Amino acid sequence: MLTIRLVEDELQRLCLTGEASDLHFSKGQEAISVGVCSELRPTDYLVVHHRTISPAIARGLPMNSLMAEILGKATGINKGLAGEMHIRSPELRFMFAFQLVGTCASVAAGLAWAVRYYKKEDDIVAVFLGDAATSNAQFHEGMNLAAVRKVPLLVVVEDNHLAGNIRPEFYLPAPIEKRFESYGICATKADGNKVDGVMEAARTCIEEVREKGSPVALILDTTRLSWHKQGQRDIRSQAELDLLAERDPLLYEERRLGIDGAEKSKLTESIGKEVAEAVEYARASPIPKMPWMEA
Amino acid sequence: MTESKAWNPTINRNHLIRDAIGLGIYDCMKADPSIYLFGEGASMKMHFDCPAIEKEFPERIITLPISEDGNTDFAVGASLVGVKPVVDVITSDFLFRTMDGICNTAPKVNFVTETVEEERTMVIRSENITFGLTTGQRLESLFTHIPGLNVIYPSNPKDARGLMRTALRRPGITLFFEDRMIADSDTRPEDIEDPGKDIPFGEASLVHKGDRLTVVSYALTLRRTRKVIEADDALDRCELIDLRSLYPLDMDTIRKSVRKTGRLLIIEPDITHSGVGAEILAEIAESSDAKMSTNPSRVGAPMTMIPASQFLHKDLIPTEERIKREIQERLN
Repeated sequence: MLTIRLVEDELQRLCLTGEASDLHFSKGQEAISVGVCSELRPTDYLVVHHRTISPAIARGLPMNSLMAEILGKATGINKGLAGEMHIRSPELRFMFAFQLVGTCASVAAGLAWAVRYYKKEDDIVAVFLGDAATSNAQFHEGMNLAAVRKVPLLVVVEDNHLAGNIRPEFYLPAPIEKRFESYGICATKADGNKVDGVMEAARTCIEEVREKGSPVALILDTTRLSWHKQGQRDIRSQAELDLLAERDPLLYEERRLGIDGAEKSKLTESIGKEVAEAVEYARASPIPKMPWMEA
Repeated sequence: MTESKAWNPTINRNHLIRDAIGLGIYDCMKADPSIYLFGEGASMKMHFDCPAIEKEFPERIITLPISEDGNTDFAVGASLVGVKPVVDVITSDFLFRTMDGICNTAPKVNFVTETVEEERTMVIRSENITFGLTTGQRLESLFTHIPGLNVIYPSNPKDARGLMRTALRRPGITLFFEDRMIADSDTRPEDIEDPGKDIPFGEASLVHKGDRLTVVSYALTLRRTRKVIEADDALDRCELIDLRSLYPLDMDTIRKSVRKTGRLLIIEPDITHSGVGAEILAEIAESSDAKMSTNPSRVGAPMTMIPASQFLHKDLIPTEERIKREIQERLN
């Protein structure tokens, strides 16, 4: 989680210098990616929404080529063509990320169908999306498809109670679990900021998906401590943000593991070095070439 | 005044091209276990449209709900682990529903995928029937504007089968259109017989050789134009080109012909404004080395929505009478 936090903090600095463009940070939501990914098998599949950096790191995408991809260089995982929002790493079964809200749901349903009925394997698909996505047609069509086709899909809802800067009163007429219920999909709820709790809930849900081969939802209550994306200022007050920061998943984990200030500094330093190297690697890399570019 | 006949599924089965499309899919399914059919009512459709597939590969027919956009995305998801989907969107007007899946999801996955490994193969098929406000809209030209999509529109069963085989045997996403307005009754036996060849994309077909006027068309209007040309000796010196592949577009064949004839007429079944003809004329205007003796031009449907009354359908798509008149004008 600290790695994700440090990478994103560095990327935020790079956004301000113009080396990186509009990025979507998961500050405060790291426990979700780390907790769920730690319970997935290496052969399970991931399909995610546009908040990709956190799950990408949690899944183990190499930092150098991830950084290069986000900074638009030819040495990026996807040669600079995908950028932050469409990252793909088939070797790590990080299948694709989608910018448009909701698309990941129906794509993940189809992927899960193919894994079970075409490849005939017992791997599962985990899809990450936000609470805001549950209002989108693609979420509904995707859940309907997943349920009626009975596919091994774990739906992870990063419930940060925001759609960009919009509050739930504008998009959520009923609790999210009711939406899943209407498709016959069981939903488990847990605190998304306690990584041990996330791991436990994820473990149970993943087991169920794998065994029964049908979709299960995991609604994780969390806190978005960053802006929706770098270019979109937050409307929340500092008082509200300070209150939310008390639930910072890194703080919880430090307390739980008894990590003191000194040890945190050591970790911050060593990971920070890795991050700095990744940035240097990206900076030194060439820009991609396309046939239609001016010479 | 000629009688207007409504398109009636009981009277005009117009199934020869549909049958050929089904057989093209079947040809490929036999050799390739990764090809699956997806769509609303797929199992029912295959029962009527391609009993061979229903009989031999029933487990590869996946009936999905009435959720066009979700269905396309679902198929893209399946393609991520090697499935080659044929998504049946049934009526081309429904393509509007699934524009996001077709334009935002499918080709973008290939754009990124291509840099790491092979592109995914996917076919999205639909039919055109002139029937009413939301039945009969021709959208082929819209898709020629989206990078990462092939657009195919055959005018006869033989081409349909050969082109469908190509669609399923090459990487890439193909919009495959079926013109249900093409009558079975005037399909020639030699255009039904399948020689077993795969027809490459981006290769137009020279249907009638001539040296005085280049006529370019596709789908229904190609058929009408050929009938008109072959029925009248005075029109024998027209050179008729069937595009069949709208993207990639075979400009080489068109240019070669125009260099010979110095005259170009495009006849389209679709609204002319910003259509396929517009693209051809733009390319000719930009880069033709031909000496043109008249202005190149196009003839097609007016800028209108399709009213429901069958009596108003006759003049939407250029009729044989109109085509004859337009050709005669350009020959003089």
